[in-house]
Amino acid sequence: MASIQTNILPKSYTLPGPSKASISGPSTRRLLPVGPAFVSHLRLTLQHGHSFDVHDAHAEKERQKLEEQQNSAANGDDDLGVGDEPESAELLALDPKEWKKHDYYAVLGLSHLRYKATPEQIKIAHRKKVLKHHPDKKVTSAEPQSTSSLLTGINLNTNDDAFFKCIAKAHEVLTHPEKRRQYDSVDHELMEHQEDDPSPTDFAKSKKTLSDKEFFSTFTPIFEREARFSKKQVMPMLGDIDASKEHVEGFYDSWYNFESWRSFEWLDKEVNEGSDNRDDKRYTEKKNKSERARRKKEDIARVRQFVDLTLSLDPRIKRIKQQEKEAREAKKAAKSAPASGAATPQMTKAQEEEEKRKKEEAEKAAKADAKKAKAAAANAAKKARRAARAEEAPAA
Amino acid sequence: MTSNMQNGTADAAAEASNIPALVGINFGNSFASIAVFTKDGLAECIANEDGERQIACALSFFGEEMYIGSPAKAQLVKNAKNTIVGFRNLLGKKFSDIPQSQSTTSAPVIQHPELSDEPAYKVEILQPAPAPLPKSTSGTPAASSAPTPRSEPIPAERILTVSEVTTIFLKSLLQSAEDFLGKKVQGAVITVPSIFTDAQKDALEKAAADAGIVVYQLLEEPAAVAATTTTEAWSPTLAVDRTQLVVDVGSSSLSLSLLALRDGLAHILASSSSAGIGGDAIDSKLTTFFANEFTKKTKTPLTVCSEKPSIADARAEAKLRLAVEHTKRTISASPGAATCSVESLKDGVDFTSSINRLRFDMLVRPIYDSIARSVADLLDSAKVDPHHVDEIVYVGGTTCLPGLDEHLCLTAGFNEDINTPFSMGTVIGGGIGDPTTVLARGCALQAALIASLTEQDAELKKAFERNSELTEVKTTSKILGLVFPDESGNELGGTWIPLVPAETVLPARRTATFDIGLSEQSKRFAFELWEVSEGIE
Repeated sequence: MASIQTNILPKSYTLPGPSKASISGPSTRRLLPVGPAFVSHLRLTLQHGHSFDVHDAHAEKERQKLEEQQNSAANGDDDLGVGDEPESAELLALDPKEWKKHDYYAVLGLSHLRYKATPEQIKIAHRKKVLKHHPDKKVTSAEPQSTSSLLTGINLNTNDDAFFKCIAKAHEVLTHPEKRRQYDSVDHELMEHQEDDPSPTDFAKSKKTLSDKEFFSTFTPIFEREARFSKKQVMPMLGDIDASKEHVEGFYDSWYNFESWRSFEWLDKEVNEGSDNRDDKRYTEKKNKSERARRKKEDIARVRQFVDLTLSLDPRIKRIKQQEKEAREAKKAAKSAPASGAATPQMTKAQEEEEKRKKEEAEKAAKADAKKAKAAAANAAKKARRAARAEEAPAA
Repeated sequence: MTSNMQNGTADAAAEASNIPALVGINFGNSFASIAVFTKDGLAECIANEDGERQIACALSFFGEEMYIGSPAKAQLVKNAKNTIVGFRNLLGKKFSDIPQSQSTTSAPVIQHPELSDEPAYKVEILQPAPAPLPKSTSGTPAASSAPTPRSEPIPAERILTVSEVTTIFLKSLLQSAEDFLGKKVQGAVITVPSIFTDAQKDALEKAAADAGIVVYQLLEEPAAVAATTTTEAWSPTLAVDRTQLVVDVGSSSLSLSLLALRDGLAHILASSSSAGIGGDAIDSKLTTFFANEFTKKTKTPLTVCSEKPSIADARAEAKLRLAVEHTKRTISASPGAATCSVESLKDGVDFTSSINRLRFDMLVRPIYDSIARSVADLLDSAKVDPHHVDEIVYVGGTTCLPGLDEHLCLTAGFNEDINTPFSMGTVIGGGIGDPTTVLARGCALQAALIASLTEQDAELKKAFERNSELTEVKTTSKILGLVFPDESGNELGGTWIPLVPAETVLPARRTATFDIGLSEQSKRFAFELWEVSEGIE
């Protein structure tokens, strides 16, 4: 509401005395029962006791309720934890032509989920991004970039749909199971992490040692990361310092027999575009194939090397070896001691067996008796029937 | 519904399902219109299956067929005695109350042969002949499986009470709305004229219930107008406190109401209703004009609007009346000349002519004058100065005529800058001020409002019942405002700022923001609260 400007109070102004006139009485009218204002009026008079404060509080509450409803309706019932990720300027400036190099999870706003994202989550994330970045919406909001008066009114943001194309590509790759598998194999985030992995050389050269705590904090996440590639799902994890011997053995057993589905088609070189040369194509394909095989081999070797390294540094192995040694020594000590108390339990065992045998025999006998009785009864019945038939025959 | 499902439009229905199926029905004596509630705060007038937004209140029987709406009106030419029009105003009336004087070409109102003092219509129809083979009770199969041809339908008479006619008509409106929405209508609000008695309202409610309509409220016409005009969409620029004149020109009567709109609350300051002024009078003028034109051009004698017309004349008049309807709409919509053409108007002679706006306005000036006079009378009786009227709202197809708006603004003594739908430019193209749909849209909004009340608000719902005591309120009788004393030297000794206008419903709240002027020497300010009665000398 625009404010009203008032003039300066004259110096001569004095306050008037109390007015003797009283306010004129109200008249009675009949309201037309229409409109939201009428409902507000009813609420004010009937429910809120003529108090505008109570009425305002109620209206505010209703408004909030409505807003919440609208929000929940706008976001759908549940976005399955997709959320909203901030989009950096670099991300928005991606070139759709360079699509092989994109981080598709970041494009769809799923960087926090990556390979764990379910198809449903990908679907929701894609829809969100499309709604936000659709070119139809951009044209109106974007300002013309040129200041030239000749070009005013002409939309110069012809590259408006660049990010939209990236979204479409990301969606295409991530919803196609085969393509997604290939992409996940060489996921950006993964490749970056792999470069930081400790290598045997680190430890071999500097004779660096790790405390127990450091060991687990370094190696646990790496195994968690690598486990995604396992063909056998639910790989055992590194565990902690107090893990049992079985766990530790099972862990190394599994990881030495690690079978990976990881593949490297994604890094293939493209066949030269426009080249119709069959030989060219075949040559590139051959190259790619060998390159894939080489990478795969390298990867298997890498995992194996890494497990070796872990084994060599694992503080639990030392502990287990120590325990085994102790157990062996204890056994040796036990053997050398005279075996006197072992007779009694053997006796009882023999007795038990005898009892069992006796019981079985008794049961067998009982069964045989029952059989005999049954056979006798059947015989008797047969005889009776035969007699009856013999009697009937002459009558017929 | 079922055919929709077969065609696979299930998607659209699912999308629409978020919006409750609520309709507003403007049920006039001559025309009806339907509006549906579309989105929050928006109502839209819909067309029926004939593509008509203004659905003629007519019902016609021809042979085995029944026509409703404009096809029924077209039957007035050849099948007038089986065509029923103008039945709404007879709802709930006794036969003895209905004046028998006016001669009509349409089906006459008669005394119901069985019910006492009940008005009814008698129409001739063709009944389908009974099945040729009476069904045998023993379940013996018929001798031959070949179908026996039915005999010709039998001529019969059908007696329809006014209530039955209304039910048939309302049912067709409901059907149109349901076809549009693709689902069952949840509830409706229907207009009633202010002149309806309680008995008539009861009759309408019963007829609507028989038609299968859940009636949330019967809304009087000025109230339906207020339901539209108090919305944000109607008046983004107008003040919340304003005095509004509603000019409702029907086909046979004029009703005027002066409304006080106070921050969304509306009440009637004065109202009047006069019969005989309206679209039919304009039609008569136009028909006479064109009939004279026809006689002049073709030397074929044609007299219209006479007491005892010949059959040929009566038929020609009916044709001409249907045609000038179109002419009126053209005049309203475009500034150029409007044509009127009738094939084989009389004696097989075709007729085409045109009339421009100026000629038209001159022709119907007497009707404009009588409307202006009625407005002046109403303002006089309410003791409201024309300058205090802030806005005029038009209702009814006749008020689409720009000439009427011009005439009224010039002659009735209003302010020059008075707001009308024409000055706000909301009439054209089915805008929000479209006089033909204002009532139906208001009803649809009202239906949405009532539907939004939950069970907890049961006591609020009572206020929407007829003659509810909750609608009785106290209003201020004079203007309240502040005087800021200054050296302007006028009577009050300061600047007068009105805050709460007269006729404001209590309790009321008005907010104003002030930039207080302070002098350097004395940092003080003062204001006085005054109650004044405003007038123009």
